[in-house]
Amino acid sequence: MIRYEYGGDEFIFVELSEEMSLEANFKAMAITNKLKEENLNSIIDICPGNASFMIRFVPEEIHPNEVIEKLKKLEAEVSWEDMTINSRIVDVPIFFEDPWTHEVLMRFRDRHQDPESTDLEYAARINGYDSKEDLIKAMTDSPYLVSMIGFVPGLPWCYQMVPQEKQIEVPKYVRPRTFTPERAFGFGGAFAVIYPVEGAGGYQLFGTAAAPIYEKEQRNKDFKDDMTFPRQGDIFRYRSVTLDEYNAIRKEVEEGTFEYLTKDFSYKPQDVLKDPKAFSEDVIRRLYA
Amino acid sequence: MIKVLQPGLQTTVQDIGRIGHYEVGMPPSGAMDKYAFTTSNLLVGNDENSAVLEITYMGPKLQFEEDAVIAITGGEIPPKINDEPVAMWETLEIKGGDVLSFDFVKGGARVYLAVRGGIDVPVIMESRSTYTLCGIGGLDGRQLQEGDTLAIGNEAKVDVQIGQAIDASLIPTYGKSHEIRVIMGLCSYRLTEESKQKFFDLEWQVTPEANRVGYRFKGERLNFVEREQPFGAGSNPSNVVDLGYPIGSIQVPDGVEPIALLNDAVTGGGYVTIATIISTDLDKMAQIKSGEKVKFISLTIEEALEARKEVKEKLDQIRKQLT
Amino acid sequence: MSSQNVVSPIPGVFYRKPAPDQDVYVNEGDAVKTGDVIGLVEVMKNFYEVKAEVDGVLKEFLVEDQTMLEAGQDIAVIE
Repeated sequence: MIRYEYGGDEFIFVELSEEMSLEANFKAMAITNKLKEENLNSIIDICPGNASFMIRFVPEEIHPNEVIEKLKKLEAEVSWEDMTINSRIVDVPIFFEDPWTHEVLMRFRDRHQDPESTDLEYAARINGYDSKEDLIKAMTDSPYLVSMIGFVPGLPWCYQMVPQEKQIEVPKYVRPRTFTPERAFGFGGAFAVIYPVEGAGGYQLFGTAAAPIYEKEQRNKDFKDDMTFPRQGDIFRYRSVTLDEYNAIRKEVEEGTFEYLTKDFSYKPQDVLKDPKAFSEDVIRRLYA
Repeated sequence: MIKVLQPGLQTTVQDIGRIGHYEVGMPPSGAMDKYAFTTSNLLVGNDENSAVLEITYMGPKLQFEEDAVIAITGGEIPPKINDEPVAMWETLEIKGGDVLSFDFVKGGARVYLAVRGGIDVPVIMESRSTYTLCGIGGLDGRQLQEGDTLAIGNEAKVDVQIGQAIDASLIPTYGKSHEIRVIMGLCSYRLTEESKQKFFDLEWQVTPEANRVGYRFKGERLNFVEREQPFGAGSNPSNVVDLGYPIGSIQVPDGVEPIALLNDAVTGGGYVTIATIISTDLDKMAQIKSGEKVKFISLTIEEALEARKEVKEKLDQIRKQLT
Repeated sequence: MSSQNVVSPIPGVFYRKPAPDQDVYVNEGDAVKTGDVIGLVEVMKNFYEVKAEVDGVLKEFLVEDQTMLEAGQDIAVIE
């Protein structure tokens, strides 16, 4: 059942599905893309979500019920399976089990489901992996769809492009931490994220991204136009790196010479859904070709 | 220039906000009480969206280094020039060398200080508003500190008369218990009928965790309809598949201590949201202090639009009166 | 002897200690000087130092440690 809900007098929130799926995400993307194309002055924000989306509008220019009618019409008309998504494949280096997130996750052990192990050990166990190395391999073998952006500027929610039975799923902390380091790589529900800035957070902590995804000083090339790097529809491949490679990337970032390895890439949702495994392999081949 | 002798508790530069970047996770920031904010700019003849100072709970001590025209609106934090009380909601003159200071807060929580010409700080993503969490906008992305200096801009638009004042009927009054109007919805289907009723029946107390990001309330636990958690949501019954949070939405992590998300809030996340404060009552939220009581009132969309219209009409009256 | 009430200018939580594992700033009956910190008020993650505005003896606290204060509430009496 699709829910159309008022978010006060300035927002309409549409929940396409209570459950996360690639289908729901592609559908939200298709509807919001169509609405963007209309370029209406009465619409202020168009925010695609994971299995939902949200519109902010000017009630003096368009009645909320008119917005709902419009969205219902778009939902009925849009054919999301064969829309073309123009995106980028991005290599995202992660230093797993780094000392910085380790210190933080140990500090907040009393807020965790399993105070006796680390977040990675816990996640490996409840997802049926024999070791944390096996879990890291599963997280880095297949790429992710950037399914939503938000929380704080630039934070990408990433949903792995694998069949649902292969999805990794973890709970959020029992009580959120009051601190998470900048660039922490976390996992919550079925989503991998990178925290752009330090702050509160409730996702399991597995590592630290070497490169920023938000840079307010706009020094490195990927940030010249925008302070935030990720875009909805991007495909991220998380790659495990050693401390040496991590340090080398940090040096580039500090010198302002870092640039993400990216490849422009167009695809259709049906390509992913038909054969996720073949799609993933193709994506990784293209990225490093 | 204006010299900051004492910064107050939390004083920031704000304008109408950084609007239209919600999809990348950028909250609007901006003045929390838009009615008081707009009126302060009108009183000094500024562009209505010029940057002003938002003062919270305790006023700063400011030395003006040049003659200026100012106006102070919002909650009751009585202002003084060279220790002499001056009026709020009125166009004032201040001379170079004069010191503006404030008494203890008597009512409300936030005051807006507009200076003719506007506060001049760099424009970041079309706004001068301070967003401290990411350190952007305003003065170096932070609240004011002792020793700062603020430049005055040139956004004055119309002439104004010193001493012109807002009619008393257009000045809000601030008590200690508040009625905040909301539209129920978003994921309210997750609450039991009993808890929906409880949400509106209870008087909620504002905790000390109440700032530009959000206000946290104490009351009783709210319960969720039992279900098997949907794929991707997380295991707590208050978890949903991460979604967008409208400005003013109220979420209930773990069913305890609802949080109303305000101007600097996170734009999305995985907690169930149950209602949204109507835009006009976000102004009222801005004037509520920690420790005070709030009752939520349920409105239909038509009632919310009517309330919105009433506030617009009041601002129109002010615009007419001042020009 | 004249007495003066110390007032909190802001709402928030009152603390008599600088940190949970440290001693209180002042005990009832202690002599205080103008400018001495007698407690903290926490609101919005800011800590505001409440200071004595006269020299004298802190006769009594009118509020308990770690209670919620309103703006303008009396905290202590200095004689």
